[in-house]
Amino acid sequence: MSAPHLKTSPRLIPSLLACLLTAGLSVAQGAVPTLEEKIEILQQELEELKRQVAQNQAATTRLANNTAGNTGGAGSGNAIASAGNSLASSATTIGGYGELSYNRYRNNNTYDNQADLNRFVLFFGHRFNDKLRFMSEMEVEHAVSSSSDQGEAEIEQAYLDYNLNDKLNFKAGLFLMPLGILNETHEPPTYYGVMRNEVETRIIPSTWREGGIGVYGEVLPGLRYDVGVTTGFNAAKIDDPAFAIRGGHQEMQLSKANDLSVYAALNYRAPGLLLGGGVFTGGTAQKGASLADPTAKALLQNSKARLTLWDLHGKYSIGDLDLQALYAKGTLGDADTVAAAIAAQQIADSTGTGIAIPKSFYGWYGQAAYHLWRSDDMELIPFVRYERYNTQKEVAAGFTANPLNDERAVTAGANFKLHPQVVLKADYQKFRADPGKDRLNLGVGYMF
Amino acid sequence: MLHPGIARRLRLTWLCLVAGISIHGAYGAEKVYMEAADFAASAFSTPSPQTHVLWLTPELRATAVRILGHEPAQLRQKYWNEGKKTVWILEEIGKEEVITAGFVVQDGHIEQTRVLTYRESRGDEIRYPAFLNQFQGATLADDNHLNRRIDGISGATLSVNAMVRMSRLALYFAKMAEAK
Repeated sequence: MSAPHLKTSPRLIPSLLACLLTAGLSVAQGAVPTLEEKIEILQQELEELKRQVAQNQAATTRLANNTAGNTGGAGSGNAIASAGNSLASSATTIGGYGELSYNRYRNNNTYDNQADLNRFVLFFGHRFNDKLRFMSEMEVEHAVSSSSDQGEAEIEQAYLDYNLNDKLNFKAGLFLMPLGILNETHEPPTYYGVMRNEVETRIIPSTWREGGIGVYGEVLPGLRYDVGVTTGFNAAKIDDPAFAIRGGHQEMQLSKANDLSVYAALNYRAPGLLLGGGVFTGGTAQKGASLADPTAKALLQNSKARLTLWDLHGKYSIGDLDLQALYAKGTLGDADTVAAAIAAQQIADSTGTGIAIPKSFYGWYGQAAYHLWRSDDMELIPFVRYERYNTQKEVAAGFTANPLNDERAVTAGANFKLHPQVVLKADYQKFRADPGKDRLNLGVGYMF
Repeated sequence: MLHPGIARRLRLTWLCLVAGISIHGAYGAEKVYMEAADFAASAFSTPSPQTHVLWLTPELRATAVRILGHEPAQLRQKYWNEGKKTVWILEEIGKEEVITAGFVVQDGHIEQTRVLTYRESRGDEIRYPAFLNQFQGATLADDNHLNRRIDGISGATLSVNAMVRMSRLALYFAKMAEAK
């Protein structure tokens, strides 16, 4: 390093001192190096310093070439770059995932072909200390969120996590329900198919979260329990029987909390194996709090309308073959009363004459995927999935189930991983009851 | 409102949990399963194995970047050795937090792997022998990937990926240290 460079690089002197100190510490920690080894260490440090100075000069030149209006952006970029060079991770962390899709229907008389930025999600976490941390997930669905668009901006998770030990941990806030496979692990590279499977969309309303408190931990190696008390559904909001009770999902948006729910899940995880199940139960009448019509409200005030939803699931890998299956079932008590209350409100509002509220609904699927080809980080994994579901297995008295909601679907396609965390997807879906939904799907997904 | 029976059980559960806090409160969430020095010492027959330093020259750094997918944080990597056996303590971020793991490499294959410190909120099943034993005997293929597939753990994808990246780096570093 020449003298003029030293003069023009004021950061170099502290850096040199730090390096010498580091070299000294290295010596103290390990075996006492010989003089030759010390010289080698110092030579290497100087080489590294030269490299850093060259980088700094290049960065300074780039900065000087920028206009004054770019100062903020350059500062942000430097902060990100320096964070990326250190594994001494910040107490505040950022991650995310997203997916885009294109759906082309075989016969688009019923459904329109569409392209969509389904989800754009950012995680923000902060570690207060070794035991206490905050986790959150912010999501924008369908690219634009405004009063005249269908998009939504939503908080998918926001909770505090207090870790005591392997067996006993607490969480409080808005968090995901531990039912099914996809609800808690829903980043696009982790599942097969462009669209999330139908059963874990219509029967288990993924991405499903509630506000409350939970306790979790490991009771035996690999065996994790998860229990808690949370908000629940609001039956008066159920609006589309094709998605069972999904419309009653409150998402912690001024959630009615006259009826609370409880959940419990048990999962055993080992390499290539997952076996587990979960149950969620609680009242959904909420004393008719969201109904304005006195008659409708009165119907739900003395009702419970208990929803119970449970599932069993498993995953198993044999060599390059991945197998996965899930069964889920739900029942809604007092469905006749819920249906009567919604009908009374719709008649009062002149918006309809009621909804065929499901008394019970269920679904299951089986899936097989094969790791056909891999090179470097890339991988091609074809898959096939069969799903059977009925969102109106039984409906409220006086109503008739829509036969299109008693469905069988086959999905066949492939995930092509460009990187373990970036995936291109293509598949074809065929529906038996409603062939109008037959479609080709193309998608892109990522997580970081 | 909750059913009175459920409410009663919840109160009981709460009491049990409060009692549990008093019993288990001494433990931390940054789970240190083994100290690095203890791991290194356990791999060798001598109590004080020799420490060495592998400098990340531009060539090594470039390969490390290809393996990790990002710049390595260290300028040089400390390791222990005895004969053809080397021990590497590496760190990599899973989803949000740093995972610290130890690798014993002998004659180009992994002899032992251990998660030393785990800091993520989910995915700590990677610390169990059922997962770690998959690395035993793994070697580095020509493309710097492992010569075998490692079965993942559902819900721990990013922690599993981090362990695979670290094992590849340990094998590569061991190869370079031997060639030094």
